[in-house]
Amino acid sequence: MSLFSIKDLSVQFNTADGVVEAVKGISFDINPGECLGIVGESGSGKSQTFMAAMGLLPPAGLATGSALLNGQEILNLPVNKLNQIRGDDVGMIFQDPLTALTPHLRIGQQMREVLQVHEGLQGSAARARCLEWLERVRIPEAKRRLDQYPHELSGGMRQRVMIAMSMLCNPKLLIADEPTTALDVTVQADILDLMVRLQKDEGTAIALITHDMGVVARMCDRVQVMRLGQFVEAGETREIFRAPKHDYTKTLLAAMPRIDAGDAPKALEKVDEPLLKVDDVKVHFPIHVSGGLFGHKVPLKAVDGVSFDIRKGETLGVVGESGCGKSTLARAVLQLIEPSAGNVSWLGHPIVGLRRAELNKYRKDLQIVFQDPLASLDPRMTISASIAEPLKTYRPDLTERERKKLVAEMMERVGLKANMINRYPHELSGGQNQRVGIARAMINKPKLIICDEAVSALDVSIQAQIVELLRELQQEFGLSMIFISHDLSVVRAVSNRIMVLYLGRIVELGDGEVICSDPIHPYTKSLISAVPIPDPDVERSRTRLKLPGELPSPMDPKAALRFLPSRLAAGENDYVPQLSEVKPNHFVAEHDPLEAIMAKA
Amino acid sequence: MLAYIVRRLLIAVPTILLLIVASFFLMHFAPGGPFTSERPLPPAVLANIEARYGLDQPLWKQLWDYLYNIVVHFDFGPSFKFKDRDVNDIIAQGFPISLTYGSLSFLVATTVGVSLGIAAAIKHNSWIDYLAVGLGIAAQALPNFIMGPILILTFTLWLGWLPGGGWNGGQWPYLIMPVIALATSYMGSIARITRSSMLEVLNSNFIRTARAKGLPTRTVIWRHALKPTLLPVVSYLGPVFVYVLTGSVFVDIYFSTGGLGQAYVGSALSRDYAVLLGVTILYGVLTVLVNLLTDLAYAWFDPKIRY
Repeated sequence: MSLFSIKDLSVQFNTADGVVEAVKGISFDINPGECLGIVGESGSGKSQTFMAAMGLLPPAGLATGSALLNGQEILNLPVNKLNQIRGDDVGMIFQDPLTALTPHLRIGQQMREVLQVHEGLQGSAARARCLEWLERVRIPEAKRRLDQYPHELSGGMRQRVMIAMSMLCNPKLLIADEPTTALDVTVQADILDLMVRLQKDEGTAIALITHDMGVVARMCDRVQVMRLGQFVEAGETREIFRAPKHDYTKTLLAAMPRIDAGDAPKALEKVDEPLLKVDDVKVHFPIHVSGGLFGHKVPLKAVDGVSFDIRKGETLGVVGESGCGKSTLARAVLQLIEPSAGNVSWLGHPIVGLRRAELNKYRKDLQIVFQDPLASLDPRMTISASIAEPLKTYRPDLTERERKKLVAEMMERVGLKANMINRYPHELSGGQNQRVGIARAMINKPKLIICDEAVSALDVSIQAQIVELLRELQQEFGLSMIFISHDLSVVRAVSNRIMVLYLGRIVELGDGEVICSDPIHPYTKSLISAVPIPDPDVERSRTRLKLPGELPSPMDPKAALRFLPSRLAAGENDYVPQLSEVKPNHFVAEHDPLEAIMAKA
Repeated sequence: MLAYIVRRLLIAVPTILLLIVASFFLMHFAPGGPFTSERPLPPAVLANIEARYGLDQPLWKQLWDYLYNIVVHFDFGPSFKFKDRDVNDIIAQGFPISLTYGSLSFLVATTVGVSLGIAAAIKHNSWIDYLAVGLGIAAQALPNFIMGPILILTFTLWLGWLPGGGWNGGQWPYLIMPVIALATSYMGSIARITRSSMLEVLNSNFIRTARAKGLPTRTVIWRHALKPTLLPVVSYLGPVFVYVLTGSVFVDIYFSTGGLGQAYVGSALSRDYAVLLGVTILYGVLTVLVNLLTDLAYAWFDPKIRY
């Protein structure tokens, strides 16, 4: 008998615009101990299916149909009955570990209340069980964590706490709703490993809700592909990947960039003068720390001596985990924040420290596309007004009519329909808004565009379209690009060269394909090996290079020398690892042999 | 934490000093003086009186003497209006009265307002919600100078239940109306802020987690949702606290309570420099202290805040 069985489940929402059907009569089963993947893009109803079953829909939601847990109907049970199941037979973990824990309660308090409610366990027995689980999810210094508040833990640790908390009562089913989406790639790999182990050791069935085919390939026994509230395809994971039947599944798989595809853009021929030259740029933020009567300030070295250049028509990919200074670097290059030291020159002219009016002359050629398409557009301006605004600054000679014509041309070029000119950002989808962002950046035909996580917030199929659009525009206008992303697969697909950042410094810089297939620096190796590949056979046979320790904080003075333990041992805490050209055009930062770094664990 | 408190108190000294200096000069720049009246005094008499209060001295000298007396003797000077009374007496008489009905109003406004707001948020879009929102808006629209006459008309003149004014050492029949009059509009605002804050918190991810853990609804509300809900309420309560503590001129006038509010406004109208400055300094010190308390309260509501 199946553990969890959904029959004809529908979910409706009563909204101001009428009734919206989020889930349209779906059925599926989860067997004891298996991992079922529910895959789909945003708005497909994959989360709402499970929220409905667990009675966690918002008040406007209405669920009909049937949800059986161990043969017992649980759909629309009264809250007090549901409370006997939630947290006990069924555990849940969610997408954003940063907001999923109550901020003012200690980790131990939040865990113990689960045991109190479901098993009446209190005091030292409860504490012991919590500690045991924190150790099982491999949280370093588990004992100390019990008395800490959520904000004192990193994102990865908080997700481990969530997992430990949901596993406390040995649930038969763990519902994991995008459990790794907000996490860095190495942390994601750790969390996935942990879930695989729990599934094996505890026999817990997992319902894995995700948009990421790579995660599915690694984790799931079976897959249900969901679109617009319905299942379009279901089957064994290997079967689905090997021979997808439905067009949507095929599109989804095709849209997933693969880090092992081996078709990264080739390196460009060396041409005379680089377009942009960045020389030893540093950005330090003063951070106030307490201590003494008035406290004092210490510098947070967000970017700490980065040099590179970009040639015409070239794309430089910038990768690194959260806190490595990618976005700060982008802003410093554009002089949106002033670098603390170093120089940036554009076609040989230094642009650091220029006055606003002089800087504006260069800004025409240097544009940026931001991560959150909706938030980066003025909500009170129509999209055509947003796109036209740079023209007013740089082409004041144009008449209203000419300006409109240019805007219409650009909108057509980026794939926005002409009848959308008077729409506002909130009336468009994320992908459409990002096209607006690109049109706004492109309207003055700049020579360089910085894409700061420009496709990270988008669904994979939309992401593929936007990447394609950027590539076409690059071809058409001979544009140079700095492509910043935490997603290595996407960066590889567009970049001629890739730069890997770690805590504000370059650890490796080289041709895109070389970085992905033959990295030298241990940090790059661990990053690449953690990227999930959307192919179950490849993904499950791969070994991961797992570096010891958690992702360090930029405030930790020793973290910068994580790959030079020998210097740390010698007490040279301020040593700056030097970049050397190991092969032509392949720069690697100084590091100890891999064995020495691994031995630190 | 201790270092933080010391630091804040140190910063308070120049703040209060600046307040005194600014008020002092503003006051003297205002036309007229304490001894101007409809029938002008003979110049010789006026010069005599002014000399007695030191008003013939240059301004900077007056300021210096004033500050000197405060710091050395804790003496805020004699009242220019009431003979034989000095500022210390006036404050010592009026402030306890304002403090009594003010802090009671604060308590009433906070408890009723917060309860109303929470009830409305928990029963969102039900009759309880509509009732609470209706009450809140009605209360907000009734400032104390409207509430005062309404209360007196109803409870004194019509029903004859409560005395229409006076203080009588703060016996409860004399307290009820001033407290209600002062509390009502704040209660309305507090209810509104609490409700919207609670609704937002109930929509947050950690409340979903608490529910997914199978916690009973009351635990979810009281243990998980309450503290974050009250955070924005606390920032509103700080200024309200100072305001009600120092009493209200309308309450003092309608109910003849004899609090500091009336003395304050009266002193401003009659250019009673000493009383006006003395009460201003009191308000300033209270504001600084309450702001510090509010900031310390944040740390209790939100562990992310550490001093």
